[in-house]
Amino acid sequence: MIPPIRVQQLSKTFQDEGRGEVHAVRDVSFECAAGEIFGLLGANGAGKTTTLRILSTILKPTSGSASVMGHDVQAAPGEVRCRLGFSSATTALYPRLTARETIDFFARINGFPADKVKARVEHLIERFGIGDYANARVEKLSQGMKQKVALARTVAHDPPVLIFDEPTVGLDVLNAVEMQKVIAEFRAEGKAIIFSTHIMSEAEKLCDRIAIMHGGRIHACDTLAGLRAATGEHYLENIFIKSVTAASTPQ
Amino acid sequence: MSGTTQSPGERLKWADVWVLYQRELRCALRERAIVINSILIPVLLYPFLLWATLTGITYVTGQSEGFVCRVAVPRWPEGHPKLRLKLEHDSRFTIVELADLAAVTNQLRAGTLDGILEFNPATGAAAALPGNFVARITSDGLRERSSEALERLRDMVDQYRQEFVRREGRRRGISAAEWQVFTLQRENTATQKEMGAFILGLVAPVIFVVMVAMGCFYPAVDCTAGERERGTWETLMSSGPSRLSVVAAKYLYVTSVGGLAGMLNLVTIALTMKPVFGPLLARTGKTLETGIPLAALPVALVAAVLLAGFIGAGMMLFAVFARTFKEGQAMITPFYMVTLVPVMFLQVPGLTLTHGLALIPIVNVTLMVREALSGTYHWPQMGVAVLASLAFMVVVIRMATGLLAVEDLIAGSHNGSLLNYFRGKFQRQPSPKSQP
Ligand SMILES: Nc1ncnc2c1ncn2[C@@H]1O[C@H](COP(=O)(O)OP(=O)(O)OP(=O)(O)O)[C@@H](O)[C@H]1O
Ligand SMILES: [Mg+2]
Repeated sequence: MIPPIRVQQLSKTFQDEGRGEVHAVRDVSFECAAGEIFGLLGANGAGKTTTLRILSTILKPTSGSASVMGHDVQAAPGEVRCRLGFSSATTALYPRLTARETIDFFARINGFPADKVKARVEHLIERFGIGDYANARVEKLSQGMKQKVALARTVAHDPPVLIFDEPTVGLDVLNAVEMQKVIAEFRAEGKAIIFSTHIMSEAEKLCDRIAIMHGGRIHACDTLAGLRAATGEHYLENIFIKSVTAASTPQ
Repeated sequence: MSGTTQSPGERLKWADVWVLYQRELRCALRERAIVINSILIPVLLYPFLLWATLTGITYVTGQSEGFVCRVAVPRWPEGHPKLRLKLEHDSRFTIVELADLAAVTNQLRAGTLDGILEFNPATGAAAALPGNFVARITSDGLRERSSEALERLRDMVDQYRQEFVRREGRRRGISAAEWQVFTLQRENTATQKEMGAFILGLVAPVIFVVMVAMGCFYPAVDCTAGERERGTWETLMSSGPSRLSVVAAKYLYVTSVGGLAGMLNLVTIALTMKPVFGPLLARTGKTLETGIPLAALPVALVAAVLLAGFIGAGMMLFAVFARTFKEGQAMITPFYMVTLVPVMFLQVPGLTLTHGLALIPIVNVTLMVREALSGTYHWPQMGVAVLASLAFMVVVIRMATGLLAVEDLIAGSHNGSLLNYFRGKFQRQPSPKSQP
């Protein structure tokens, strides 16, 4: 059985006009099972977004491979996109659509069966408590409301794989906690979830396994307990620092 | 093309195109800038522009027709008192008293005088006829008013000559018919008929192209650079539809809004021509002889769509490189200007839709409209024009899809314009080519 998400020796090199070659991702491998939240923990510029963009077929890997539900991101990008929900700070909503239209639109273009779209939309509106403002345009909603609509559109087509790239950035504590709660619910529904963050507590609380990413590489990847055992540190913060410095000292 | 994500799964799916297209259109209709520029302006501004042009024209021609010509006559000919009377009583002239020929010439140059009429005694054989003279008219051809003076003086002297000849002939027992072997009758009817033709043939096509281009402008920027600026680009790019479907939907959107602008514009011409411009022309004593042939409308509507297809495609290709709405506008504007250049061709008199011209974008469609408005249909050439336009559109969709597959453009890391993009591409060693 191929796991829902499989990343093998993935590398990505950018040609940057100013900086020349940028090795954003180097030889990264990991897997994520159904009903699991896999955390990508890394500082700014670690390569998290690049990895997740490759998974969502926005970028092409320089080498290595990645697959979603057994479909290769390069060979069958369309198949991959229909099977995942991708949400990040840079995936905004259409301001002129209403909340309901938004969910409907994303369900349809992601290949949700046309005859079931209506019921699906109503279900999601109810589930996320969007009902009061379902017919208001997204541009008029508050940040918290937008966040709910964004979550609803991410899962509009009921994808088996969800990718969240720093989803709590810019949210206040209440909204951030709400977001974590919803993501945990998705896990309970059996979705394979990748969750990237640079916030230690978030990773600690939410993730079943954590990959510590730095400079484009994964330096350690295990459950929190496993990481603690390997490093002899209790707090994730210290584990993170230890893994990153241990890896970079020999070089 | 390097970095493409094209694959067998990336085919055009019309169901997706339809959903995407509806989304574009729905948002556009909620966008004030698009509604104003693509719908209201073609409908409302159009008659206003035409009205302004016409008022301008009638004002200018009215001026040159209504004014009085200031004429100097340094010396009157002997034995022709009637000529002098005739000139003095003609309300179209005022006679400026100036004896010195040099001063008169200076005034003519300075523009305070419109014409000089000199009478010199006839020389050679012509001198045999008593009282014969040579009339010489000097004018400044650069000034409208002076040219008009030349025309009027020439007509006047010519008329007098004919009267004189008839009178002399009668006195000598020769009938006027025998004298007058050749007569030339002139009547200037151009201004009447050409007014309608001018509007339909020149002004209308120009405004038509401008309106279609304006109709395409905002949607083209909105659905490319605008989408990137709003941050919805990545949402869309990580969603189900293939790149080809996305491009097709966007292209359809731009073309239909541009085409709609063009059609509304044409319908407005058809509807406002008679009621608005008829009275305006009637006041100046002219009639609008050419009405809009209703049969021309279908052709013109097809032309609107084709024109929008071309202009929209060009604009999208430029705007796709922009990261913000502003950048997009800046990149499109030069193309917008360029689209107006072929319209200048229409000023060439007697230009008709040939097979060659049918291949030139914008010119072909604009000529099609112009000819249809004047009731001419070159069907084979029109067929060529349609095919050429369609072929062009297919090429552009392919190109745009290729560009969208370039991840630099998707990820938005690309900095700058079309030019920068290609420079970067050719300077750098290109990565191995994937399938076309
Ligand atoms: N399109 C691009 N062109 C050139 N360099 C890029 C591009 N995208 C990312 N990079 C570089 O690749 C590296 C990894 O970036 P990435 O965005 O993946 O990091 P990240 O872990 O998501 O960081 P952050 O926490 O800031 O989001 C950075 O050095 C970044 O500058
Ligand atoms: Mg990031």
